[in-house]
Amino acid sequence: MAADNKKTVLIMKEKRTVSQEVKNQLKFFTQTKKKILKELKEKEMTVPELSKAIEMSETETLYYLMSLLKYGFVETGEIDDMDEYFYYKLKNNG
Amino acid sequence: MQDYIDNYEYDALVIGAGIAGGESALNLANLGHKVLLIEKDLTIGGKMIMLSKVFPTLDCSACITTPKVSEIARHPNIEILTSCEASNIIQKKEGTFEALITVQPRYVHVDECTGCQLCEDACPVIVKDQYQYDLVGRKAAYIPFSIASPRAAAIDIENCTLCGACERACPTNCIDFTQTVKEYTIKCKTVIIATGFQLFDPTLIPRYGFGRYKNVITSMQMERQLAPTRPFNTVLRPGDGKQPDNIAYVLCTGSRDKTIGNPICSQVCCMYSTKQAQLLMGALPMADITLYYLHIRAFGKGFNEFYAQAQSMGVEFVKGKVAKITEKENGNLILRYEDINGNVVKETEHDMVVLSVGILPNIGIRELFANIDLELDEFNYIKQTDVLASPALTSIEGVFVAGTASAPMDIPDAILSAGSASAEAANYIRKMSEMMISV
Repeated sequence: MAADNKKTVLIMKEKRTVSQEVKNQLKFFTQTKKKILKELKEKEMTVPELSKAIEMSETETLYYLMSLLKYGFVETGEIDDMDEYFYYKLKNNG
Repeated sequence: MQDYIDNYEYDALVIGAGIAGGESALNLANLGHKVLLIEKDLTIGGKMIMLSKVFPTLDCSACITTPKVSEIARHPNIEILTSCEASNIIQKKEGTFEALITVQPRYVHVDECTGCQLCEDACPVIVKDQYQYDLVGRKAAYIPFSIASPRAAAIDIENCTLCGACERACPTNCIDFTQTVKEYTIKCKTVIIATGFQLFDPTLIPRYGFGRYKNVITSMQMERQLAPTRPFNTVLRPGDGKQPDNIAYVLCTGSRDKTIGNPICSQVCCMYSTKQAQLLMGALPMADITLYYLHIRAFGKGFNEFYAQAQSMGVEFVKGKVAKITEKENGNLILRYEDINGNVVKETEHDMVVLSVGILPNIGIRELFANIDLELDEFNYIKQTDVLASPALTSIEGVFVAGTASAPMDIPDAILSAGSASAEAANYIRKMSEMMISV
């Protein structure tokens, strides 16, 4: 049966501590998310452009950008003139 | 579907809820037998539900698997437990079995979760999504994938920050951090092992650069990129998000290779690579696709026509053994290979390389049994004691094998094998039932 008070996490907190690695990962993702959304607010960008703007490797930029795409923060725009890189933009969530 | 069991006595225990285990369970359930189907993963459907299309018909894999999975999940004679494993299986004197079933906590009550994903929206964490083979992130509170069965959330406690946001967002109060490991001792008349296979880890061949060169991916990662529930908006290089236009496949990666301890053919890598090449021709019409192979083994019904179809579409097949892969500054890859027909060593440049990985047996199956020895064959698959006449028979009477737990095979063969295992198991159940009545 599910808990009624919506606070079972407090019981888990008594038994388990969150590792520093998990805390660092969360901090890093939150900062990266802010940076990506800030840059895309200015203009549409390709992965290499965004990577340069946020000073992160292209591989990592793609990973975080696609995660934001998956969770509805970002959407895909047109492909560039060379048919190589797609532009990505902030999703208009109304 | 529930996260607990109602009974402790079943006619059959089926270990593994992939396509072979699911089919076996369904066959037995349709004959009126009570089945406990257990799965170590969070969902049923195995690897097949993750595929894009099947060869050689190019039917949508999820479209075939999901109705089957749904039928299994709703069948009144089948109880399913996910996130669980069997151990300490004991054969009793009369031939029946006892097994210990250990269920790991999911921290979500499966029967009360509506799959609304509000917990997922609320969760602030991003970690690599194992169901997308690390190409994209997922939350710590997550539904494995959109067509998962059960379509219920789970909490990845190792990566959870215990912020409680998921619990606050859940409209049905189904998240429960007080869940603990549960153990059940069950009795059954027969056991079917359908534990499937594992994919070869290509980091074991360092000269191919997997893990170091970002544009070298596995065939399963490409499979995900081609599936409707793909990680990216289209097929992209993981190194920089470029749409590739010159893709190479290296067949037999980790199979037919004594140096890495797997001398046998995977049975599927020729045809799934040919399938992916055809799908890529559709997704990226301007792309060049080259398959480097040792031999094309198109042995099944329609396979040779499928191979010829790929050739006629423009897929290039090069008989060559790839020696090593090196990366250029722009992320492109140089393949150095022996051109077997030309008897020369050549180098070619591609902007993405797919390693067509082989399949390996799952280890640790033998250790499930406490007082009896389950024999393995020389390649560590479960030994089939009468491979031609009764391929489901194992070294233990009453224990049967289905699917790739016995040898590498494709999906139709795995389903056929499940038919054999369920027929043998039904016969054994009848024998056990008759014996119990006479006693």
